[in-house]
Amino acid sequence: MAPEEGRRIAITGVSGHWGSEIARRLARDPRVSYVVGIDTHAPPGDVGEVDFIEADLRGALISRLLPSTEVDTVVHCGILWYPEPGKPARSLHDFNVIGTLQLLAACERTPTLERVVVRGSAAIYGCEGAAPLFFPEELAGEMPLRTRFQRDVSELESYFENFARRHPEISSCMLRFQPEIGADLDTPLVRYLSLPVVPTQLGYDPRLQLLDADDATGALEAAVWGDIRGPVNIAPSGALSLSRILRIGGRPSLPIPHPLFGPALERLGSRLGAGPVVGDAVRLLRYGRGVDNGRMRRELGFQPKLSAVEAARELMTRLDARRIGPPLHPGIALARLAGSGR
Amino acid sequence: MSAEEGRPKVGVAGEDSEVLTRFLREVRSGVEAGVDPVTAAGEAVGSLPAVVREAVETILRRLRGDYSEDEWGFDEDFAEAVFPLFRFLYDVWWRVDVEGVRNVPAHGRGLMVANHAGSLFPFDASMMTMAVMREHPLPRWPRFMVLDWAFVLPFLSAFMRRVGGVPASPHNATALLERDELVMVFPEGVKGTGKPFSERYRLQRFGRGGFVEVALRTRSPIIPVAVVGSEEIYPKVADAPGLARAVGAPFFPITPTFPLLGPLGLVPLPSKWRIEFCDPIDLSEHPPEAADDRGLVFDISEQVRETIQAKIYENLVARGGAFL
Repeated sequence: MAPEEGRRIAITGVSGHWGSEIARRLARDPRVSYVVGIDTHAPPGDVGEVDFIEADLRGALISRLLPSTEVDTVVHCGILWYPEPGKPARSLHDFNVIGTLQLLAACERTPTLERVVVRGSAAIYGCEGAAPLFFPEELAGEMPLRTRFQRDVSELESYFENFARRHPEISSCMLRFQPEIGADLDTPLVRYLSLPVVPTQLGYDPRLQLLDADDATGALEAAVWGDIRGPVNIAPSGALSLSRILRIGGRPSLPIPHPLFGPALERLGSRLGAGPVVGDAVRLLRYGRGVDNGRMRRELGFQPKLSAVEAARELMTRLDARRIGPPLHPGIALARLAGSGR
Repeated sequence: MSAEEGRPKVGVAGEDSEVLTRFLREVRSGVEAGVDPVTAAGEAVGSLPAVVREAVETILRRLRGDYSEDEWGFDEDFAEAVFPLFRFLYDVWWRVDVEGVRNVPAHGRGLMVANHAGSLFPFDASMMTMAVMREHPLPRWPRFMVLDWAFVLPFLSAFMRRVGGVPASPHNATALLERDELVMVFPEGVKGTGKPFSERYRLQRFGRGGFVEVALRTRSPIIPVAVVGSEEIYPKVADAPGLARAVGAPFFPITPTFPLLGPLGLVPLPSKWRIEFCDPIDLSEHPPEAADDRGLVFDISEQVRETIQAKIYENLVARGGAFL
């Protein structure tokens, strides 16, 4: 790409966690000459030398703005699993699907464009009990899609495929992220895992692959510099069950019959500060999901630093360090028995 | 102390309770010193007799989340913990006789193909596992493919996965074989488990031969296995399709004891079992692309089916009466 000049990169969803993280990294990179962030409101923190354009991806304005920036790379971080400030749950569908559609339309009108990276989700594989334990990329759409978010992801992936087929001169890739965790992330899943007593679904023990937040940003960065095309699963190696994550963290679990899990967490969760865990996450915490990360490791050339087990251990250790109140360890019963009298 | 007898009982009386008191005292002093309870208990186990110590250490290790669950969800500790139950079924309840266990490869990949019977829980898979674990000179844990439906149910799904069950799918089988595991498949599927008692030991259609494709692609030997006895444990005399639909099951068996006796009807009948592992069928002469050759796939599938059917008849004669 433009050799002397350095890359010119546009990042959508720059006010969200992932957009601002990647913006910060790219703005520092000497191989990059210009970074522009696009979102509905300014990034909350300092993201470095980044131009900011206040624009709503859902509108047609973006089709006029994007060509004028003369970028050669677009990183689309505007696909949200969870509501964010200024992006409430009921408009997520619009942000995710219409936003992507408008952005891709704008990309078609940007002649300088050479690379498009979309930060998508592994939700396209659904969450089923009888699913393949490690989904390879070509199995998308094999399982029924049951939640709003799964259907949204599947819909926007079909727009993306269409775009990639029509524009073979632009190298486009769709990253399918497994759910990310990290002590600094403020997502319902992390808040759920930091509850003192963690409600689980009675009789189910999902197999999870939770991706460390640093690795998630690292993979996105690798995809910006790489030339891989088409869908790529972004996940840590291995998988572990929810019960083991909770044991690593020393959290007692509270099994709830599964039809009541969603409603219970909506009430209890918001009272305990976890916020509701709804839709996609409920099914994820019932059946789990595993994807095959072979393409990421071999073709994208990105090796996650932490495996699934290490990522869970890291999260739990860091959550413990800042927890207030007494630890409700399973071993506390043993201590009581021993008469330590707490 | 009872440790010498191999059957320790904690907290009964006399010496035992003294040991326990000493243990708890050490845990308490650890906790008071500011160590967290699990670690304290871990340090205190030194005061326990060897056998108890081992058990306590295993439990504590699991409480710390420090155990050997693999990425497929198979949990070896758990499988070992439920082993005695299956050992009872194997030795006492079904008195399993095994032949040809040396045909199971001691290392490397292998695809065991067997006839399937006996309603919901794959008892035939667990007895084959027992046979490999107990009779084989180099025991190893096989993985078995289970009906999809079982993986949607609470408890059963978690249990199956921990003892080595995997949802039946060619992707899962291929991935496991590529990791050089020993995999069991039951190509009859629901048609096998749901067939009426009057059709016992008559092999059903072997699907579309998907197992042969997997074996060809991964260049794994196929080991046909004939299981005799599994088809008498739940003699299905009728089906209740309405009830099956209501609970979302592929079929709802009515046996002489179920649902008449309620949960008691779920106790399998004590038939006499024989398991024969046949000579492996080596497929290494075919290139992996041969998996797309439908004719070849059907030929091999039919060959496997006939082998199993013939061995079933042989073993039925050798077994004699079904229950004694």
